[in-house]
Amino acid sequence: MAETMELVPDATDPKTYYLNMGPQHPSTHGVLRIRLHLEGERILGADPIIGYGHRAHEKMAENRDYLQFLPNSSRVDYLSGMIYNLAYCQAIEHAIELDVPERAEVIRIICGELNRISSHLLWLGTFVLDLGGFTPFLYGFDDREKILDILDSITGSRLTYCYGRFGGVTMDVDDEFLRRTSDFCDYFKRRLGEFDELVTDNVIYQQRTKDVGVISSDLIQDYALSGPVLRAAGVAHDVRKTEPYGGYDRFDFDVPVGQRGGDCFDRHTVRMEEMRQSLRIIDQALACLPDGPIMAAKVPKRIRPPAGDHYFAVESARGHFGMFITSDGTDIPVRHKLRTPSFVNVSTMPVVLPGTMLADTVAILGSIDIVVPEIDR
Amino acid sequence: MLKQTLTGARSLLTGMKVTFKNAFKKPVTSQYPRERIEMSQAYRNVIVLVEKEDVGSHDCIDCGMCERVCPSFCIKVEGERPEGMKRKRATRFEVDFALCSECGLCLDVCPTDTLGYSREFDQAGYGRNDFLYDLLIPYRDREETVRDTLRAAEAEAAAAKKAAVAKKAAAKKAAEEKDAAGDEAPGGDGDDS
Ligand code: SF4
Ligand code: SF4
Repeated sequence: MAETMELVPDATDPKTYYLNMGPQHPSTHGVLRIRLHLEGERILGADPIIGYGHRAHEKMAENRDYLQFLPNSSRVDYLSGMIYNLAYCQAIEHAIELDVPERAEVIRIICGELNRISSHLLWLGTFVLDLGGFTPFLYGFDDREKILDILDSITGSRLTYCYGRFGGVTMDVDDEFLRRTSDFCDYFKRRLGEFDELVTDNVIYQQRTKDVGVISSDLIQDYALSGPVLRAAGVAHDVRKTEPYGGYDRFDFDVPVGQRGGDCFDRHTVRMEEMRQSLRIIDQALACLPDGPIMAAKVPKRIRPPAGDHYFAVESARGHFGMFITSDGTDIPVRHKLRTPSFVNVSTMPVVLPGTMLADTVAILGSIDIVVPEIDR
Repeated sequence: MLKQTLTGARSLLTGMKVTFKNAFKKPVTSQYPRERIEMSQAYRNVIVLVEKEDVGSHDCIDCGMCERVCPSFCIKVEGERPEGMKRKRATRFEVDFALCSECGLCLDVCPTDTLGYSREFDQAGYGRNDFLYDLLIPYRDREETVRDTLRAAEAEAAAAKKAAVAKKAAAKKAAEEKDAAGDEAPGGDGDDS
C-alpha cells in the first residue's frame, strides 16, 4: 500500500515521470485515479488507485435489516440501478425461497433490459466523447432520456430506482407503459442503425479502437473478468444463459461474442449487439406479459434467511454481479459482500495499459465501462 | 493512400448524412420555465401526510412503523391519545428530506395508508436544515375539530357496537328460549321449564 501511494518520481531515471490521471479527469468517469508511469507518451506502468467514492455499502448492510438495504442496492451502480435493485430482491427471494408471480417476473425483465440499454447508451455516448466525437453523445442521451421517462412512469425515479420488493414489484404497469415501451423498441431498432453509421462505420473511430487494448482470454481467466469484456474476447458466457434466473430461460436471445480477440472495437460491437438482443427480449416479454398479481401472496413480515451462506448472481450491464450473504438466521446479515464487475475489470489495468500510448489509455479505460461507485461501493 | 482517403471521405459523408437528417427534426429539449413536461404519476418526492376523506384530515395514528422501517432514519413521529379517544393522533411529524432516499418503504408499512409523495419538484435551500419538513402544518388549525368529530364518531361507533352486542345477546337469548320452547314442544315432557 505504501508503495502505491508513493508519488515521488523515480529520480534515478530522468527520462521517465509519473502522471496522475484523475481523480478529476473527465475521462475517468468519476473519481478514479490512475497513476501512470510514463516515458514520453508511452506507458511503463499503471496503478489504479480507488476508494474516492467509497460509501461503505457492505458495512451499512451489516447494520440494518434486509429490507432497509433495499435503497442502497441501486446506488451501488447508478447507471444500471434497476438491475442491481432487482438483483438484490432476487437474492433475498432466493435465500428465503419465496416465489414471485409470473407477471412480476416479466415486468422485472422488461425493466431490467430497458435499464441495460440505457446503461449501454450512456457508455456509448461517453466513450465516443472520450475519443473526440460529440454528436453520438447527444443522440445517446436523447434516447436514454426516453428510457428514463418510461421507467420514471412506473418507478417515480430516474436513476436510483427502488422499484423491487421482496416478492414482486411496487407498481403495476399500465397499457400506457406497454405502448410507450413497444414504441421505443420500434424506434430504437431504427436508431441503432444510425448509431452504426455514425460510430461503428466511422474510420477514425475504428482506427482509435481496433487492436487497441486487447484483453485476451488468458488474462480473463486469471482475473475472472465478466460481462461484455469477457464476451468481446470470444467467450460466450452470460449469467442469463448459463445460470438462468428470474425467468430468463423463457426468452430467446443470443449471446454476442467478439471476432477480433478482445480489443476495444470488439467491446463496442458486443455492446451494440447486446442492445439489439435486449430489444428482442423486451419484444417477447411484451407479447407474453401474463395477467395476475405483482406481489407474492405470502411475504414474511420479517425477512430471516436461514443461517448459512447464500450466493446469487445476475448479469448486470457490466458483467457478473454477485451478492454473497452470510446469515445467522436473524434480521441482520453478518456479512454482505458485493462482487462488482467493474472492480474486477479495472484490476486488469496494470497489465493491459503498459506498452500503450497515453491517448489509448482513455480509449481502453472507456471501453471497459467502469462505474466508479460500483468499484468503490 | 488514395483508398484510405476515399474510405475516410465516405465515412465522413455517412456521418454527415445522419447529422443532417437529425438537424431537421423537432428539438427534443423543452424550454423549461416556459414549457413544462407532464409529471409522472409515480413521481416521488418528499413524503406528505395525505388527507383521508373519512377523517377529514390525515390519519396518522403514531404507530411508529414508518419511523422504524426508514433506512435513513429521517422520520420523527410523536403522538398522544386525546381525552376520551381510543385512537392516537400524531402531534409531531417531521421528515428530514435531506436524508430521505425516496425508497417508499414508509408508504408500504403505513397501516392507515396516510403517507404519499409530494408533487413538489423544485425545492432549494441554503443548508441542510432547510429541508426539515413539518408535515402536520396543513392540518394543525383544524386538529381540534377533527378530534371532536373523531371522538363523536368513536362514541357513536362504540354505542352502535354496544347496541349491536346487546341486540345480538337479545337475539341469542330469544333463540335459546325458542330452542328451549321448541325442545319442549315435540317432546312434551319438559317438566323443569
Ligand atoms: S421514503 Fe424511505 S427514506 Fe424517505 S422517509 Fe420514507 S422510508 Fe425514509
Ligand atoms: S406508519 Fe403511518 S400511521 Fe404509523 S406513524 Fe407512520 S404515518 Fe403514522
